[in-house]
Amino acid sequence: MGMSRIECIFFSEFHPTLGPKITYQVPEEYISRELFDTVQVYIITKPELQNKLITVTAMGKKLIGCPVCIEHKKYSRNALLFNLGLVCDARTKTCALEPIVKKLSGYLTTLELESGFISNEESKQKLLPIMSTLLEELNATGASTLPIDESNTINLKLIEQRRDPLIVQEYDVPVFTHCKDHFIKSQWDLTTQQILAYIDGFRHIQKISAEADVELNLVRIAVQNLLYYGVVTLVSIFQVMKPSDIWNVSATSPNKVTRLFGETVVRSGAGLCLTPHPACVSGQKRACLRDVFQLYCGLTPGTTVRDLCSRYSQQLQRVDERRLIQYGLMKSLIRRLQKYPVKVLRDERSRPPRLYTGCHSYDEICCKTGMSYKELDERLENDPNIIVCWK
Amino acid sequence: MYNHSSSLKLHGERTSMYKHSENTFYKSGEKTSPISVILVSSGSRGNKLLFRYPFQRVAGCTSLTTKQRSPYALNTTGDVLEDPDGDSRDQTPLTDEQLVAGFSDSILATILATKSDMCGKKFELKIDNVRFVGHPTLLQHPHSIQVSKADPSPKRETPTMILFSVVFALRANADPSVISCMRNLSRRIAVALQHEERRCQYLTREAKLMLAVQDEVTTMTETDGSPQSPFRQILPKCKLARDLKEAYDSLCTTGVVRLHINNWLEVSFCLPHKIHRVGGNHVPPEALERSLKAIRPYHALLLLDSEKALLAQLPLDCSPALVRLIKTCSAVKNLQQLAQDTDLALLQIFQIAAHLVYWGKAIIVYPLCENNVYMLSPHANISLYSPLSEAFGQQFPGHDLPSMLAKFSLPLSLSEFRNPLDALVQEAQLIQMVVWMLQRRLLIQLHTYVCLLVPPGEEEPALLRDEVLPLVARVGGRSLSTPSALSFGSPTSSDDMTLTSPSMDNSSAELLPGGDSPLNKRMTETLLASLTEQERQVILNIPAAQNPEDLRMFARLLHYFRGHHHLEEIMYNENMRRSQLKTLFDKFRSVLVVTNHEDPVISLFQSPLE
Repeated sequence: MGMSRIECIFFSEFHPTLGPKITYQVPEEYISRELFDTVQVYIITKPELQNKLITVTAMGKKLIGCPVCIEHKKYSRNALLFNLGLVCDARTKTCALEPIVKKLSGYLTTLELESGFISNEESKQKLLPIMSTLLEELNATGASTLPIDESNTINLKLIEQRRDPLIVQEYDVPVFTHCKDHFIKSQWDLTTQQILAYIDGFRHIQKISAEADVELNLVRIAVQNLLYYGVVTLVSIFQVMKPSDIWNVSATSPNKVTRLFGETVVRSGAGLCLTPHPACVSGQKRACLRDVFQLYCGLTPGTTVRDLCSRYSQQLQRVDERRLIQYGLMKSLIRRLQKYPVKVLRDERSRPPRLYTGCHSYDEICCKTGMSYKELDERLENDPNIIVCWK
Repeated sequence: MYNHSSSLKLHGERTSMYKHSENTFYKSGEKTSPISVILVSSGSRGNKLLFRYPFQRVAGCTSLTTKQRSPYALNTTGDVLEDPDGDSRDQTPLTDEQLVAGFSDSILATILATKSDMCGKKFELKIDNVRFVGHPTLLQHPHSIQVSKADPSPKRETPTMILFSVVFALRANADPSVISCMRNLSRRIAVALQHEERRCQYLTREAKLMLAVQDEVTTMTETDGSPQSPFRQILPKCKLARDLKEAYDSLCTTGVVRLHINNWLEVSFCLPHKIHRVGGNHVPPEALERSLKAIRPYHALLLLDSEKALLAQLPLDCSPALVRLIKTCSAVKNLQQLAQDTDLALLQIFQIAAHLVYWGKAIIVYPLCENNVYMLSPHANISLYSPLSEAFGQQFPGHDLPSMLAKFSLPLSLSEFRNPLDALVQEAQLIQMVVWMLQRRLLIQLHTYVCLLVPPGEEEPALLRDEVLPLVARVGGRSLSTPSALSFGSPTSSDDMTLTSPSMDNSSAELLPGGDSPLNKRMTETLLASLTEQERQVILNIPAAQNPEDLRMFARLLHYFRGHHHLEEIMYNENMRRSQLKTLFDKFRSVLVVTNHEDPVISLFQSPLE
């Protein structure tokens, strides 16, 4: 609401003799004569632009409106043209206001068609107090519910625009970004409530669906919804069930790890809960930050998780390596290096490589051919014509 | 409620760890290209649409919005489903052409040819999913149109055009930086046109031509009955139309626009969003600028094209300093050396370098040397059949790219990469290969960063709070040296640009000779005072700390141990050798954590932002 403050609401129409004019505006005299002259062509428009959301910037102000034209013989000039619009400062982001303008124009159109609300001079006057209330309430709380007459009510709400969420795949693993208990579960739909207990950052969608006994697509949609609101985030499944088995090397991302080191994540209430760090085995909080940091720094390219375990066994007594990896992935502190085989030498006569082209990672090849990691490794190691890139 | 866009499979990244949507690759492409370019004018003959490109598809030119409506029909919203909540996004996304093709010429003329009081300022109009942006320009004051009968030059006609505007249509959800770039281009073209108009009525003449062709085609359509696009006919006749088409095409492809208005005035422009693309995402201009401000004298400039190719692209009247710089720069020479060699001020070098980087002609790297450690970039295309692979094979016959890249799968230093037993020629070729790979953003460079992290004592839990305070706050006083060092590197700062090490202010400790003098001891104590008691104890208990020289060095470098300064930067600032530093780190390894990662300043060019 702080971002999209509405400075003025205006109601403009095409007067049969006076032409385009502003009939009402709240607050009074906000739109100068000059400003209206400049922009009137975008407010009371030609028929081609009817019902389009038009935002025009002029003289430091942004005007958002949706021109309406209702044609009927009963009107002088056979048509009623009007536009209820909002005015903001030119620098305001107005995406959230657009649905409101559209909705308002819809309401007024309906009212006019049902009861001649606007063409009737008497009822038109009711617009002014309606506009005042709207302005006040939308700026204060971002929502407004106004009864117009016995049968019609206006319901408006400013909705924050969020980015479209990713498609959720069966092998994605949802993990809560904040502590589970922060959320009032009863507010959510039944499907979400049913799967909540199974979201632990290790179960992937397919597993959740199986264990919670909810259809796969419903789980995907529910998780996508949670993703949209930033309640969960996704990490991809590990190649092998237990990451301490055969993991691949990881490399730390620049900045992020040093930021982890210096940042006040521990103190800030932003709920990134480093204390206690999710990886820390409970009861051993003390040694945490340094151990965790050392471990992340120890994940250099060329180091498998197994190596890490042997090298830092002491620290790993206090830190759960699965959660360490998970947290690191979530916060993009670390990333997994994938192996890509490329067949570089071959005879002229043999077929061109289909999978060993450098475009397909081990993960993908194993998925497609059904081989296990180990089998693939053995097969490729024995072939002198194939080199492997990690990236 | 939200778009279920189709998921695109990028090679090998289906199980990608990155949170970037796989769709952003295509979305960014659309969002940074204009949908259409439109030229409108307003004058005594009213508002006119002079030219638009791309042309409307004329066959069945019925737009989506103008339909025959019965006077009694309810005012429907056309194709879009009636959505009472008003929050539906596009259910059936229209193609770009449909978005703008829906606007007829006359309506565009009305809405884009603004009143004169909107001139000279940014023009922005959003209609549903299309955003129009331009810079309307006044040709002359509307009140001062005079017909001078006694004009000596008979060629001057009565100008009837009052204002004009070059408008770009974009998708409504385009990035704000793209919008301001487009407006910038519109303004530049307008300035050139305004100048030419004043000089020789160029714009009026072109406008006349355009309108004449439009009239011609309209009459032809009326007689023949077969609709044609008038703008297609305008193209061969009007240079300005061709220029606008070229601008549009360039913006959609390379992002570099170079026009010669009236074959005379050059208008050049680049869209950073198209030029700086890594891994499918564009680099926002603000990030680029931040990076450029953080260049240090020890960085080097690596040209992305060959010297000859680059020089050929420069206009005839370009600055000689630029030419000199291009001829002298190399991947092994840092900017400071470059300044000396070209006899230019360091500040100027920074500015020219930033300019070249902005235009996508060069990138900033750390100068090549033996100890540089490189690794394969996560965005490198290692496919056997990629065009890069082919180009590499042609450039370096007998070698193939994937094998070379495989060598860099795990971090490799240049000295390891080279085989000292190789012939000198082969060595040189290996270096060239590395440079080639750097230019194509296949490699990233890793630097060593150091963080101070003292192991906590075994005693009490009360220290949990201390452990939590970021070192930044505690090392407070000493961090003063860093900001000045940063501003040193700023290309626009007019600070003291001495070519020697900038650490004059904080090197007081190093100037004092002799190990154990009380002054030195005091200095060390002060420096260590910023640590907590417990930390100090731990450090002083390290065997190496018994040596006062080492301890002093450690204390002096304390403020670098926050993980923001890499080894080479410390070397440069403090005038120390690599071996000295490495030994020190080793001696104090119980309290230091060493990590390797990219330099965030230059990693911008290798990795997208997260």
